[in-house]
Amino acid sequence: MSDLIEVESVSFSYGSRSVLDSVSFRAGEGEFLALLGINGSGKSTLLDIVSGFRRAGTGSVTIEGRSQSEWSRREIAQRVSHLPQAVHADLPFSAEQLVGMGRYPHTDRWFESDEDHKRIRAAMERTSCWAQRRRSFHSLSGGERQRVLLAACIAQDAAALLLDEPSTFLDIEQQLHCFSLLRQEAQEGKLCIAATHDLNLALTYCTRLMVLADGVIAHDMQVTEAHENKEWLGRFSKRLDMGATPAGSPWVWYR
Amino acid sequence: MSATQQLTFLTRYSLTLSLAVFLGAAVLLPWVGAGPISLARVLQHQSPDYEIFLQLRVSRTLLALVAGGALSLAGTLFQAMLRDALATPYTLGVSAGASLGAVAVIAAGWETFLGVPTTWIGALAGALGVLILVVGGAFRRRRISAFSLLLTGIAINSICAAFIIILGGFAGISRSFSIARWLIGSIDATSYVSLAVLTTVVLLVSATILTQARSWNLLAVGERWAASRGVQVGALLLQGYVLGSILAAGAIALTGPIGFVELIVPHLVRSRISPDHRLLMPCAFLLGGALLALCDAIGRIVMPPAELPAGAVLALIGGPYLVWVIRQRTSAEEI
Repeated sequence: MSDLIEVESVSFSYGSRSVLDSVSFRAGEGEFLALLGINGSGKSTLLDIVSGFRRAGTGSVTIEGRSQSEWSRREIAQRVSHLPQAVHADLPFSAEQLVGMGRYPHTDRWFESDEDHKRIRAAMERTSCWAQRRRSFHSLSGGERQRVLLAACIAQDAAALLLDEPSTFLDIEQQLHCFSLLRQEAQEGKLCIAATHDLNLALTYCTRLMVLADGVIAHDMQVTEAHENKEWLGRFSKRLDMGATPAGSPWVWYR
Repeated sequence: MSATQQLTFLTRYSLTLSLAVFLGAAVLLPWVGAGPISLARVLQHQSPDYEIFLQLRVSRTLLALVAGGALSLAGTLFQAMLRDALATPYTLGVSAGASLGAVAVIAAGWETFLGVPTTWIGALAGALGVLILVVGGAFRRRRISAFSLLLTGIAINSICAAFIIILGGFAGISRSFSIARWLIGSIDATSYVSLAVLTTVVLLVSATILTQARSWNLLAVGERWAASRGVQVGALLLQGYVLGSILAAGAIALTGPIGFVELIVPHLVRSRISPDHRLLMPCAFLLGGALLALCDAIGRIVMPPAELPAGAVLALIGGPYLVWVIRQRTSAEEI
């Protein structure tokens, strides 16, 4: 497994408020990494920095062995796809048009090619939103929108997918479907990093957990190690405890 | 029929229709006016029909087509940049700056400079001043965002509006009337040299804007969305603001601050044809030009021998239309 993304001593502040303080980690192909942490812990900021939307105050980000600053914006987009936490799309684009925007970094054609349309359709079918393709994005429900946005990320066909709370607004069946799909992407060689608050989804589908707290990566472990030391649960609430499902998988519950 | 074929068919259909409307307006509307013009007399170069047709009707129809197209495209562009279907060159202060410049020279009593109407020079200088102020004010930590552009634009808009009122108060009755009339916006006969300059600038700027149509699509969804799909957001916003301002300022310099065309046409095209800027922008340009030329023609015939300014006709038609459109919207379309 080679490192696709390498974050080295990254710090970031909003004015005088420090959010990230010398954060470092490496992640490679085939990993499905859950980025965990309480509200305001810097998960979205870290994803913004890795995707290139924000510039780190200090530190560096390396993508495929080359400094992020040496890649053009478009070259980064060909390698890293980012699903922001909130996309409003107030102007009346259809679901299909929005997913089609995922093909932007790959073509200079005025209109998408048949190959692009095949990929758009495949992505929408994988996220179960092909039936809504002609509907205006802002007429969709929260869950339908989230599936369309996820399809846009998949259609972008990048090696790394950065997803900021991808299961937001999804019903339970769709949450399972979403994380299962991301695990499948990882198994096919992609790197998926998902910021999430759902610890059980992370434990069930991800390969690695990374907990951000007080501006640093407080815990970084493989999911298989999660039950060995429960200290990391205390970062979220003192009422959390961990047991196991009948199948033996780790499971977090409230006391 | 594949998706590409469907899109190509829709493109050809809507673009062809818009082009037909634009050309139809260019050919037919010069014949509309308070007095009839004989085609035979025009073809034989006989006075006064030939002069009225060529020097007055054709030039103002062409001016309306170019200015209307420029304003409509500028509106479409600013709406994409600010992700707001109600954004116009007025929102970002460009029109107010151009108006202040023109009002200042009217109030000062300057009419021409080296044969060029000073209102043109004043409007262009005012728009350029606002452009520099807004872009300078919107830069924060070497970055520019749509939000900072909007806030700075609104602030400069208010300042310009205040100065226009102050200048109007000191200008005297005759010049105050000229100021009020200029601020309504109208299409007047203009020299073909001026028209050629405006047309060249508008076509070059419009073509540059159109080449970025896919990027405007992404920016219309969101800055973070566009950035993570490969768009240089800051550079694109800056480019859009400068190009949109040139379009608006060029049109306003020759016609005054005509409103509504940049609001109605993009809305109509977006809802009836496509929100995709690859179609929306060329169609908005063509139909915006045709609408302004039509309003100017209506203004020539509703109460002859007097003429109603095109800006007033547009407001009288556009205002009720906009209210009707808003009432037709379903709750899902509310934005």
